[in-house]
Amino acid sequence: MKNLRSIVGVAAAMLISGVLNAQSATVLYNERVVELEQTLPDATDLWVKPEDLTRVNDFVLKPEGACLDELCIPVLQDRDSDMFITRGGQGWFNVTELADKLQQAYVTDYNDGIWSFGTMPVTRQSFLRGGKAPDFELMGRDGELVRLSDFRGKKVLLLTWASW
Amino acid sequence: MPVWQSIYEELKSDNFEIISVAQDTGGEEAAGSYFDDAKVTYTAIIDVNHQISSLYNLVNVPSGVWIDEEGSIMRINEGTYAKEHFDGAWGTNDYVPIVRDWVAKGADSEYVWDRKKVRESIIQRTADAERAQPAFRLGGYYFTRDNDEKAEQYWTMAQELDPTSWNYLRQDLEYEEGGNAGPEWRARREQVESAGGSYYAPLEIENN
Repeated sequence: MKNLRSIVGVAAAMLISGVLNAQSATVLYNERVVELEQTLPDATDLWVKPEDLTRVNDFVLKPEGACLDELCIPVLQDRDSDMFITRGGQGWFNVTELADKLQQAYVTDYNDGIWSFGTMPVTRQSFLRGGKAPDFELMGRDGELVRLSDFRGKKVLLLTWASW
Repeated sequence: MPVWQSIYEELKSDNFEIISVAQDTGGEEAAGSYFDDAKVTYTAIIDVNHQISSLYNLVNVPSGVWIDEEGSIMRINEGTYAKEHFDGAWGTNDYVPIVRDWVAKGADSEYVWDRKKVRESIIQRTADAERAQPAFRLGGYYFTRDNDEKAEQYWTMAQELDPTSWNYLRQDLEYEEGGNAGPEWRARREQVESAGGSYYAPLEIENN
């Protein structure tokens, strides 16, 4: 994390001096493939504009922090931190730092700028501890979105199989 | 699959749905014809990222999960076949009758598990196994963009991070010499079984 600060410092300094422009990145999460036009160049972390945070993982940056439904992770926004920095009037949110806090796994191809995120443990307690079926949203073969929650009131036999 | 279709037709009027999810990175091309040939009318999905296996902590196919009217899991993580194949070489005729019983009796079915049994049957993942899913997802991203070298790199990573996942191994082997049920798969299966493990999650059909 000490290294991270200096890397961010250098990257931000380069941004301000106009040597290096914000770079594009691709985020994979569930079924999503989110193309981000601008992220803050950083060797280890993914910094995105606050409005892109929601596109990436549904979190919304509010005054009280980064929030998903009832859950809010406090984020200081009036000064720089591991989670949020401001450069030239533009705020940047650290998605990988949030993932670390949430123990959400990710794997990155740095060369191609692709960040692949796993399931969020924090949203899975009702499954792991309470035996509630995780909801999902997948495209059916008939072209209609299928959500498990649409079948409330019915018994569902969920079957996986494969051609391999 | 034709058997599931007939079960579905028998039970669907009793507030019952089958959601059948192919774990196939090859997509429609790989899995579509199986659904078509069986003329399925239940909910059919081709899940190229194996998201259902990620979400429900499943590591092999076929796997079955019972979900009740309120969204609670009643049984999970069982190698579920609709019938025996090749004189019992694989599959079972014992599963369909318990599904019928559950659909008829709901929570009163003797085959419904209690909360504790459900919880204990959910596979717990290590931190490495948690990382295996985004690695597999990344491999699939490259696979669908015809970047075989990187697909292989991240699929291999996924297998190393979660060696318990047959999904990750066999989806990868499907596209390699030897195929998904070739020497490498046989060796791994024998290794697991000779150590007292089982390839399919065991199907426990007992009276409570």
